[in-house]
Amino acid sequence: MINKVKHTIDNPSQIHNMLIEGEITPGEALTMFSQLERYKIPFSTVNEEESLEDVMKELDQLIGLSKVKYLVKEIQAFAQIQKKRREAKLLTEPQVLHMIFKGNPGTGKTTVARLLGKMFKHMGILQKGHTVEVERADLVGEYIGHTAQKTRDQIKKALGGILFIDEAYSLGRGGEKDFGKEAIDTLVKAMEDYKDNLIVILAGYKDEMERFLQINPGLRSRFPIQIEFNDYSVDELMQIAKMMVKKRQYEFSPEALIKLERLLYNSQNDINYDKLGNARLVRNIIEKALRRQALRLVKQKVISREDLLQIKPEDISEV
Amino acid sequence: MKQCTIIGKTNVGKTLFLINFAEYLGVKSLVINYTYKEGSEKSKTISSKTAISSLVDEKPHKTLCIQAITLNIPIGKGKKKIKLIDTAGFIDGIHPDIEVRKAISQTLTIIRDSDIILHMIDAYAAKKQDLPSSLGEVDYQIAQFAQIKRGYAILANKMDLPGAEEGYRKIKEEFSGHMIIPISALYKRGFKEVKTFVARNI
Repeated sequence: MINKVKHTIDNPSQIHNMLIEGEITPGEALTMFSQLERYKIPFSTVNEEESLEDVMKELDQLIGLSKVKYLVKEIQAFAQIQKKRREAKLLTEPQVLHMIFKGNPGTGKTTVARLLGKMFKHMGILQKGHTVEVERADLVGEYIGHTAQKTRDQIKKALGGILFIDEAYSLGRGGEKDFGKEAIDTLVKAMEDYKDNLIVILAGYKDEMERFLQINPGLRSRFPIQIEFNDYSVDELMQIAKMMVKKRQYEFSPEALIKLERLLYNSQNDINYDKLGNARLVRNIIEKALRRQALRLVKQKVISREDLLQIKPEDISEV
Repeated sequence: MKQCTIIGKTNVGKTLFLINFAEYLGVKSLVINYTYKEGSEKSKTISSKTAISSLVDEKPHKTLCIQAITLNIPIGKGKKKIKLIDTAGFIDGIHPDIEVRKAISQTLTIIRDSDIILHMIDAYAAKKQDLPSSLGEVDYQIAQFAQIKRGYAILANKMDLPGAEEGYRKIKEEFSGHMIIPISALYKRGFKEVKTFVARNI
């Protein structure tokens, strides 16, 4: 249809003019608009075309996390069998897939949640597979009645995907009169109502989450899947670091590797280690190293390709 | 405020739906905002009865300017305001009258800015070929275009007429994969489903 037009269309007013002049029909104008719009589609939608294999590969590439990987295989197998059963006209039950993720910051909870969303979409478990990430402030309101509405709004946003509640234990602090309780009640109701079309993931520090579940005993049974995200060992952190720099087309010099390893060992003895953020700490160290490398190079008169690639020990420092 | 626009071919019942849907949501007197092609605006308050007699007509192309009203949609414990917009009808070919063409161009601008699109199809005429409101190429083009919008639903109107059932089945076949709600704008049937759909998308 668009070939009919001699000149190329690059802005909407051209289409309007042609329509008013009577050169094209309204329907053709609509088709042109959708073509125009398609050019503008941001890169994020490209992800939707990723196949299940791509997403699985992405998960497999994550260092560690063996429990998660095993769980995903289980769920995938179950979804496949359910499909076969449906074809054979046997009874099928929707799975309850609400989850609790326990672990320190930077152990991959959010990353995994996002991947799960995409995966479940491909497996036909979720309609959209997007992840809505919220925290206490997004759910809890300021006055009576406000909380239920706010929570419901977030739930609606998450329908067809995953509602990921970070630091979920904070909904349980503040005792009986706190509105956090109202948020939990609304959430529990929604989990029943939309059990086919919504997955809720509660995430937080291990100890705090345990306490949270003890205060709200009804919750534990509603979240049949509980995964612990262990802290990464130094070896794993080193693997993560290597992968991160490789992705960005840099490389560590051997001395730099040694220095990084020492730095990570030392940080493990830090009294605040569980707050430092594991893999996130590695990312921060690397990002800082890249900036320091850049600063070192601009002072240099001649910069070789090798220089651009390599991260030297002097680039690596604490964050 | 989110925009919800009613579009469709001429004479499928867009304006009647606007008025009756507003009444269904408890609006007694309509404050209608008219936006003319030249861009001037006017606001008028009328009762829904007079609105129907003065704005709705059996002849095609009765609506030539944008008519909008603000509605409160109940959501959970609260209410949300949306702007419901009625537009000039589409045709398959090129209309000889430049005024109609301008009105359609204005409609297109509105559609592009809208969050929700209610695409109205005449279920009674869907199986027939010769009516101005029969299913046409432009309906498919609208459905194609609306895929880039989040909220898109097809309203199969005139379900009260005999033979509309068949038309509804045809619409379901032709536009499978889209949300289709059977309604009767005249007798206010299916409005609850429309309300739920709108509420879910704002």
